[in-house]
Amino acid sequence: MSEKKKILIIGIAGGLAQMTARLILNEHPEWEILGIDSRDISKVPPLKGLTSLELKYSRGNFENLFRTHQFEVVYHLGRISHSSNTHNILAKRIELSVMGTNRILELCERSQVKKVIILSTFHVYGALPDNSIFLKEDAPLRASIRHPELRDVVEMDQICTNWMWKNQNTVSTIVLRPCNIIGTQIHNAMTRFLAGPIALSPADYNPFFQFIHEFDMAHILYKVLKDVPTGTYNVAGSDFISLRDALKVVGTKGIPFPIVLAGGLNSALKRFNIDVPEYLLDYLKFSCLISNHELKKHIGPNFLRFSINEALELIKLR
Amino acid sequence: MSLEETKWFISPEDDQKITDVFSSLRLRYQNYKDPWGFNLELCEKALRTLMPLYRSYFKVRVFGKENVQDHPYLVVGNHTGQIPLDGMLVTMAFALDIAPPRILRAMVERFLAQLPFLGDLTAQTGSILGDRANCEYLIDHGESILVFPEGVRGISKNTPDYYKLRNFSQGFYRIALQKKTPILPICIIGAEEMFPLVFHAKKIASMLKLPSLPISANLIPLPSPIDIYIGKEISIPQHLNAESSDKEIKENVFHIENTIKKMIVQGLANRRPFFDEIRRPVSKFLIKEFRSKQSP
Repeated sequence: MSEKKKILIIGIAGGLAQMTARLILNEHPEWEILGIDSRDISKVPPLKGLTSLELKYSRGNFENLFRTHQFEVVYHLGRISHSSNTHNILAKRIELSVMGTNRILELCERSQVKKVIILSTFHVYGALPDNSIFLKEDAPLRASIRHPELRDVVEMDQICTNWMWKNQNTVSTIVLRPCNIIGTQIHNAMTRFLAGPIALSPADYNPFFQFIHEFDMAHILYKVLKDVPTGTYNVAGSDFISLRDALKVVGTKGIPFPIVLAGGLNSALKRFNIDVPEYLLDYLKFSCLISNHELKKHIGPNFLRFSINEALELIKLR
Repeated sequence: MSLEETKWFISPEDDQKITDVFSSLRLRYQNYKDPWGFNLELCEKALRTLMPLYRSYFKVRVFGKENVQDHPYLVVGNHTGQIPLDGMLVTMAFALDIAPPRILRAMVERFLAQLPFLGDLTAQTGSILGDRANCEYLIDHGESILVFPEGVRGISKNTPDYYKLRNFSQGFYRIALQKKTPILPICIIGAEEMFPLVFHAKKIASMLKLPSLPISANLIPLPSPIDIYIGKEISIPQHLNAESSDKEIKENVFHIENTIKKMIVQGLANRRPFFDEIRRPVSKFLIKEFRSKQSP
């Protein structure tokens, strides 16, 4: 892997993408990375070997990128999150996550990219009361059963896995379904929930969570480039923690609140556009723990630098 | 409720017994972290609180203690009573009256897992959703599982059907085959009479999305004396596996059903008269009153 490579990172405005780029360039300063994002990229720190562009995935000039650069590796980390109030604009999410992903994969196939690494999420499994313990990669993706607004998340994952098997002889594709990624540079709903001064702590449920520190996630994104063959992989440590304990570790004051009433409260908040996505309330009720067995087969059992408690303690630094 | 506050409920012997049991369980679970939230401290508090029910109210007797060895089992029994207190009493029996003590992990219905407060409470006291992956995980960690293969049909029987076993489902046996875990048959006598059935509120149950809603005349259980019989372990045939045909599985499940049926027949023959539990203290009280009036 010492020869010069050209890598495309989609979603470079995100903290995780920037950390991954930094890790790759630290290890291989001779490689070139092109980072693109449809969001504002003015805050992407300058890095030798990294060029950043603000670009829509669906535009013709995006296609041009694939023509002019011979990308060997494509990281698709640009899935649009449900964590903000973007759930009101399902059409935009479908356009970016589903249509955009479809287009990216099509271009990868056409321009003979050798490796495609896609960041999906464990949310595809859904938080349901009858979830088995430690869901494996072949568990059904049931997120959209209770929450149809999550269909873009499930659909994107399915598009990627179908494409992966269809092109397995020509492209090595890896679909990662990480558990909750937390850290100071990540701006997802879970990090915000945990790191706030106060948080609603379910009085009537106490689900279990898995957390992975952003640095560990970036490290895995780098590691799968070399060590992991085509396939879908859950990404999580072997440890887990209850929500109440997690809040204690972070030091956030948990205000006990019956989650059964949260649905009504959330509907009221919807009028003021300050509600939380409804599917997240399910995660405050039911556990969705994933198995890391498949990933461990390829990158060894001790692939995390930070334990779950350390990862939680580190988000205090926000 | 603190441990000190619960002490007045129970005799010093039982208090010491619970202390010893939980010292040994703490050693056993010191390196185990449960993904459902099993909480040993809460179990200890619950056991101390429920001890008077176990010892004095239901006067639980356990037979066949010598049949339990120190390895994981699928403990399979008849499901009785309109409210499944039988599971609680069997779990208490295995913690208090069996050596080495263990907390049975009871398989519960899906609807229970989603109930606010109750779902969390049952999970903390060791219950798990009746799912194959969950059971296999626990057996791998040395836990014994309590299964009522009759399911909800077992506890929503009409009065003439008391102690009549419903057909067993086969899922538990496939788990036993997968993990090569022996079956420990048990039978519970006395729990059917705790809540005499008046009628099944089927429409309300379906409106509330409950699997069953038997309505009883009494809100608190009647003091029916409880006997728990533990049979000899049934080992798993080597020629079968989890993918064996339904027919082969059915034969073995039928054998377990028959074993439990025989235990029920024996148990019913040896049971204590139900009304003795009410008649005796009343008679004692009346005799005492009578004597005190007679004496000058």
